[in-house]
Amino acid sequence: MSWWSRLLLAARFVRREIVSGELSILALALLVAVTALTSVSFFSDRVARALTTQATQLLAADLVLNGNQPAPVAIRQEAQRRGLQVTDNISFPSMVFAQGQATLATYKAVSNSYPLRGEVTVRRVDGQLQTGRLHPAAGMVWADARLLRKLGVKLGEHINVGNISLQLDGEILREPDGAMDLYNFVPRLMFNSADLAATGLIQEGSRARWRLMLAGDDRQISDLRQWLAARLPPGSRLENVEEARPEIRTALERARRFLGLTAMLTVALSAAAVALAVRRYLARHWQSVAVLRCMGLTSSEVLGLFVCLFLLLGLLSGVLGALAGFAVQLGLMQLSSRFVGEVLPNPGWQSWLLGPAASLLLLAGLALPPLLAIRQVPPLAVLRNDVPLLRSSLVAPLLAVLVLLLLAAWQMDDLALAAWLLGGMLAFFAGVGLLAWGMLSLLRRLPAGRQVGWRYGVANLARRPWLAIVQIVALAVGIMALLTLTVVRDDLITAWQQSVPTDAPNKFVINIQQGQRAGLQQQFAAAGLPPPELSPMIRGRLLAINEKPVRPSALQDEQARRLAEREFNLSWRDALPEGNHLVAGQWWQAKAKPQFSVEQGLARTLGIRLGDTLAFDIGGSTYRAKVTSLRSVAWDSFRVNFFVLAPPSLLQQQPASWISSFHLDAAQEDFANRLVAAFPNITIIDVSAILAEVRAMVDKLTRAIEAMFVLALAAGVLVLWAALAATRDERLFDIALMRALGASDRQVRAVILTELAWLGAFTGLLAALGAMGVGGIAASKLFNLPWNINASLLPLGMGCGMLVVMLAGWPLVGRVTRTSPLAVLRSV
Amino acid sequence: MTPIHDKAVLSARDLAKQVVFNGAPLDILHAASLSVQPGESVAIVGASGSGKSTLLSLLAGLDQPSQGEVSLFGQSLSGLSEDGRALLRRDKVGFVFQNFQLMPQLTALENVMLPLELAGRKDARDTASQMLGHVGLAHRLRHYPKHLSGGEQQRVALARAFAIHPGILFADEPTGNLDAATGRQIIDLLFQLNSEQHTSLVLVTHDNELASRCDAIYRLVDGRLNGARA
Repeated sequence: MSWWSRLLLAARFVRREIVSGELSILALALLVAVTALTSVSFFSDRVARALTTQATQLLAADLVLNGNQPAPVAIRQEAQRRGLQVTDNISFPSMVFAQGQATLATYKAVSNSYPLRGEVTVRRVDGQLQTGRLHPAAGMVWADARLLRKLGVKLGEHINVGNISLQLDGEILREPDGAMDLYNFVPRLMFNSADLAATGLIQEGSRARWRLMLAGDDRQISDLRQWLAARLPPGSRLENVEEARPEIRTALERARRFLGLTAMLTVALSAAAVALAVRRYLARHWQSVAVLRCMGLTSSEVLGLFVCLFLLLGLLSGVLGALAGFAVQLGLMQLSSRFVGEVLPNPGWQSWLLGPAASLLLLAGLALPPLLAIRQVPPLAVLRNDVPLLRSSLVAPLLAVLVLLLLAAWQMDDLALAAWLLGGMLAFFAGVGLLAWGMLSLLRRLPAGRQVGWRYGVANLARRPWLAIVQIVALAVGIMALLTLTVVRDDLITAWQQSVPTDAPNKFVINIQQGQRAGLQQQFAAAGLPPPELSPMIRGRLLAINEKPVRPSALQDEQARRLAEREFNLSWRDALPEGNHLVAGQWWQAKAKPQFSVEQGLARTLGIRLGDTLAFDIGGSTYRAKVTSLRSVAWDSFRVNFFVLAPPSLLQQQPASWISSFHLDAAQEDFANRLVAAFPNITIIDVSAILAEVRAMVDKLTRAIEAMFVLALAAGVLVLWAALAATRDERLFDIALMRALGASDRQVRAVILTELAWLGAFTGLLAALGAMGVGGIAASKLFNLPWNINASLLPLGMGCGMLVVMLAGWPLVGRVTRTSPLAVLRSV
Repeated sequence: MTPIHDKAVLSARDLAKQVVFNGAPLDILHAASLSVQPGESVAIVGASGSGKSTLLSLLAGLDQPSQGEVSLFGQSLSGLSEDGRALLRRDKVGFVFQNFQLMPQLTALENVMLPLELAGRKDARDTASQMLGHVGLAHRLRHYPKHLSGGEQQRVALARAFAIHPGILFADEPTGNLDAATGRQIIDLLFQLNSEQHTSLVLVTHDNELASRCDAIYRLVDGRLNGARA
């Protein structure tokens, strides 16, 4: 046969097999795997692109050149020549005066095209809110609430800015490049750069930052970025979009991990279903292959035919799965669109290729090895009725699943997740297989009951331990998936939602002096509010790691450079703060000697390891101590968090200001004003808007994730189906034989139900244990969420297992009692 | 001893088959020789376990003898690999089995089309439906085997075997799974097709009535073949 006619024949085979239902489980399993993988890939891809878009809004531009001098004219001209939008702003710290009061503020002079990206929200003199690409007109000035409160001025009044007086005509509620840095508490003020020269505030050597802001399409920006890389003026840097809004990032990152976990679980489950379905398919086609050999097909022709068949099936499910994945992803987008931007960039072409690639990969790993065995089917097999057990090496399927998970991990940029999942799965397979074997050997030693049903039901399980183990493992995986995806997922999502509880702190109080702590506590008590937790805050600069001086300019990583440049907020305390988890080392005991605990993200960025000695410059003296622990911090908890902590012994003597966060209902807003009136030097920062945004985002993303779980659930059901179907034929045969030997319907039913009940209970128990493990690992290792073991999983798992297995087995009972033993014996 | 005829479709000389059973050699077949002429029908009869099916599988090239030689369409099977023997069978050999061996995932029509498609025949569909009409199953084309009775399944098998106009057809207990009346109908059909297409027939059976309709009967007793032309 020519290749072409072979392909045509295979195509006809595929059509016929699909029509006859022989390929249903296999095709569905492939489809579900591909759909899950591609939808998450599409989604992640678009979320990643949208995140970048969103981040550029936080810069108020696509690219910012930040320097201590105005950007060279050559750069500005080049940007204009390339068709980019260009604007400047200049920011600098200076004093501002009004009503005889003075305070330090950050000034920002903006030009008329500010902002290039994102929007400004201001409250005007008439109390109206305005949002858009706004900037103060010449002669006008906008300030934030902190400045208004500090100076005691109202909108419409004048304040002195350098040599001139400007009219306050807006309160800044939000500015795109305001950098929502909770630790950047200096009041802010914005005016038009047309007035800059007249203020006389910018002189030679002024501590100002000049920002050249650029906007254009993706290609223009990346081209210019490349061009700029070699021409960066000294003392300047390109602003990094990665630093934007850590709390939103955390939430989106977590959502992506949830989705990624679900997708990988779906893929793993589908792979199990594919493996089972392929086994059954080939076992059922053993005789057909022998017939083909009798008809004169050579072994390689038979193999070629089936390889073509699987190839076509793989391509078909791959393409259909990719289309379905795109549709699912549209749904996910719909559910979470508000947070990943309204203008959604199109997904990249790679995601489209992923579908067919994944499908073929699954088949190559899971179908090819057993498929190769059909070369050995002798034509003589037509005269015998035995179907040999298909045993094949585990290497290829494991390799395929590994490659697939790596592919998924690469797509989702999350190797840790894939590693955990793969390790967990292997451990689960091995553990469940071992347990099942143990339980079966135990069962065989049970004293035989008198009841025929009981005795034979148990015997049936024990007689074919290998088959029973395969079945138990497959069923356990399916039920575990169901439990993980329902109970455990609920627990995980609840834990996530509780990580941003409705009573999460929405106000930060800073600059509390040592002597004001008692008074502040009293104010809270008087207002009937819970006592606030006060943390000392000391500013310090990192001097050296292991006596090697830290020179910001020498650091390669831009983020590391920025971290090293600025002053850290250090704090001291005895107990590990709530919401922090140790990831390495040990927390200190009370009255411990000097040491540091460092946040893991910071440690990674600056290359700090456990046991390193850090030196900080605090108030002119140098403090040295070893790093004895690394912590993970839930940045979206809105609690007061610190990068670096020390025991009291190290820093207690240092003068500190104190910081706290607390929750205030909208109705109690007045309390904040009374607090400021009582302690004029403190500053209260309101984060309710961000908090509400994060919480709403968590809710919406949760819904997107739930949509994704439906797919995983489908995969779990498929595994169950495939596992039961794989052994149905054999079971049918046994039962028919029993009936032929004279067993009554009632006895046959008792045998089947006993076997199924045992199988279900075993399986359910193992599945519940597995689900507990998955939940615990996912919570602690992947999501940094607190996790409580849900003991109800055990009875639930056993009940669920018995129910599922018996329900699935019931039609079998009906079929056996309806048809004659001969017909069954012959049809198998 | 039956002389080997030059024009024989199938001839076998001194076939023997030995297997190792529980560590000891066991002779299933001793020095069996026979030949089948074009259009001739040959029955091999014997009790269960007499080695009938073994002989059939050796004659059809499904298995290899321990000794002796088989030649099919004038070509010796010894020295041919499993695949070589398969190629020799292609388009020329038909099979009918006791348990029908239809492909469960194909309809009656598709089952009959299969050998035609494998032979690359463009008219596979028409030929197959004609064949099914010929065996009285024109109304069952789109049924799957599991929805057909035993007799109907065996008719589909006959249609499939004869669709390619084979030079020789091997039948292994073709009525073994059927009741007497249905079995007779199948036998009638088998001999009808045999004479229409001038196909040689090798039948393995323990049914004396069936055997008596053949041109030659061989009896297999304890692995030894005796017999002659009727």
